[in-house]
Amino acid sequence: MTRASRTDERAEAEPPDLPGFRTWRGVYLFVFGWFVLVVVLLTVFTATFS
Amino acid sequence: MNAADWAVLLGTIVGIAAYGFWRTRHVRSLNTYMRGDAAIGWGTIGLSVMATQASAITFLSIPGQGFESGIGFVQNYFGLPLALIIVCAVFLPMYRRLNVYTAYQFLGQRFDEKTRLLGAGLFLVQRGLAAGVTIYAPAIIISTVLGWRLDLVVVFTGLLVLVYTVTGGSEAVALTHRWHVAVIWAGMVTAMIVLLLRLPAGLGFMGAAHVAGALGKLQAVDFSLDPSRRYTVWTGVFGGLFLSLSYFGTDQSQVQRYIAGPSLRAGRLGLMFNAVLKIPMQFVILVLGAFLFVFYQFVPAPVFFNEAEWRRHAQDGRFRAIEAEHASAVAQSQSAIRGWLEARASDDTAREASARAAMVAASQHSRAVRAEAKAALAAADPRTKTKDSDYVFITFILTQLPHGAVGLLLAVMFSAALSSTASELAALGTTTTIDVWRHLRPLIAADEARNVRVARRFTALWGAVAVTFALFAGFAENLIEAINILGSIFYGVVLGLFLVAFFLRHVGGTAVFLAAVAAEVLVVGMYFSLNIGYLWYNLIGCAACIVLSLALQAALPPRRAG
Repeated sequence: MTRASRTDERAEAEPPDLPGFRTWRGVYLFVFGWFVLVVVLLTVFTATFS
Repeated sequence: MNAADWAVLLGTIVGIAAYGFWRTRHVRSLNTYMRGDAAIGWGTIGLSVMATQASAITFLSIPGQGFESGIGFVQNYFGLPLALIIVCAVFLPMYRRLNVYTAYQFLGQRFDEKTRLLGAGLFLVQRGLAAGVTIYAPAIIISTVLGWRLDLVVVFTGLLVLVYTVTGGSEAVALTHRWHVAVIWAGMVTAMIVLLLRLPAGLGFMGAAHVAGALGKLQAVDFSLDPSRRYTVWTGVFGGLFLSLSYFGTDQSQVQRYIAGPSLRAGRLGLMFNAVLKIPMQFVILVLGAFLFVFYQFVPAPVFFNEAEWRRHAQDGRFRAIEAEHASAVAQSQSAIRGWLEARASDDTAREASARAAMVAASQHSRAVRAEAKAALAAADPRTKTKDSDYVFITFILTQLPHGAVGLLLAVMFSAALSSTASELAALGTTTTIDVWRHLRPLIAADEARNVRVARRFTALWGAVAVTFALFAGFAENLIEAINILGSIFYGVVLGLFLVAFFLRHVGGTAVFLAAVAAEVLVVGMYFSLNIGYLWYNLIGCAACIVLSLALQAALPPRRAG
């Protein structure tokens, strides 16, 4: 294993360093949840104004 | 345009280009030239990814889409957040681990040189053409409405972007993107505020939304399973997922943006920034278009928004009669809208329903007159481009915004054109240097200074190609769709190459290479013979490439398949 690949593996294990998120999986779940919320809001918007 | 508009326009776009040139004039390192400043933050990466995707077409065509067809186009972006999550989790870590300059280097390391060249070649063809469209699209619209010479606008845009992109490469692109996005947001917020202020007294945001909704402009989501419908939730989620995955995961103009930076974290956060903001941003731009539709129910609107084209042909009495009929139709529509608003406030359901039907009928009549105008134009000159929705927003800008703001909004268009073109040219130059030139001249790879010189020349060459293409080619009527269709024809197959590389470890280079060529032939053949939503070609191309790879890997002798 090269020094570069070891460095990158450490980087992958590096936490997102965002308040409220300890892992990248948590960040992805948040973004997915945000997407679902946006689609729901757009559906409500469509129902309200169409 | 007056002096204030010129000062804002030129001060902004020339100033940003000069800043990019000046800050990066000493770039000598290949790493900095191709990946950008190693200390770049996630915010700059996020803005750079956003600026790369949002071309001038976004800000000219999308309000026109909202005006003409409503806001359903927003569904086109539903696959984007999901695609960005996959890019963050799978693609980006691999690119950083292999320390590549281009996405196609990964194909070379995973398969072989011919597959790498195929991936790079498909990118160069598709993106090289798209760079010409990126320059041409705003140039044709701006030159038409302002009476400027098209060739001068194209050449000016091309030279301006080349000055800093050739000099500073990826670092200059990222630096200027921050300022371009700031100008774009400032301009679009200004336009929205002016539009809301110019709506008739008493209508307001909610009133305009109810009118737009009643006239069918605010249907954001459509769950229909009809495959011939262009924009539905399903084409957006599935077709859009594949289109976005191809674009963000395999298109060097985006890959080059997020492999920059000091860490994997910076690239990931930059992409997640876009995953969160993209759909709301597109929604706002489309709503702006829908509100423009409402606005033009209350003020005298041209029967055909490309007024220069209209004036050129509308010489006889027939056109005058259409203009008069349109003015009458708009007046009827306005009266019907006011009648519906009053009926709505009265809480009388039957009256409201009757007034609503009258309003819809009046709007349809107005639309029919516009269709009649387009038919008359086509009859007068079959070569006339009869789609005028790309001219709606620019007409509003030039006729309704105060001086200074007009210059700012034109700066928005040029900033968007410059920012996306800069990314494209930097990526084209990098790919040609790394994947083609260094492939042919492997012994020179270690000469860093020469690599940078060659990359600068290739970037300039691609700039010249894009400008030439923009000067001499004619394009499809709806510009944003032209780019998306072009992308959909190529992207699916390229994505298939990468998905096989990532997830089907037993498939070798020859099998995937032959499968990709066959899949591309299949997609092109289907495009010319079938009538289905173009986003599906992303899925079809990708699936065909994967399935054929597996079949060929099983059928070919082990030595040939590998």
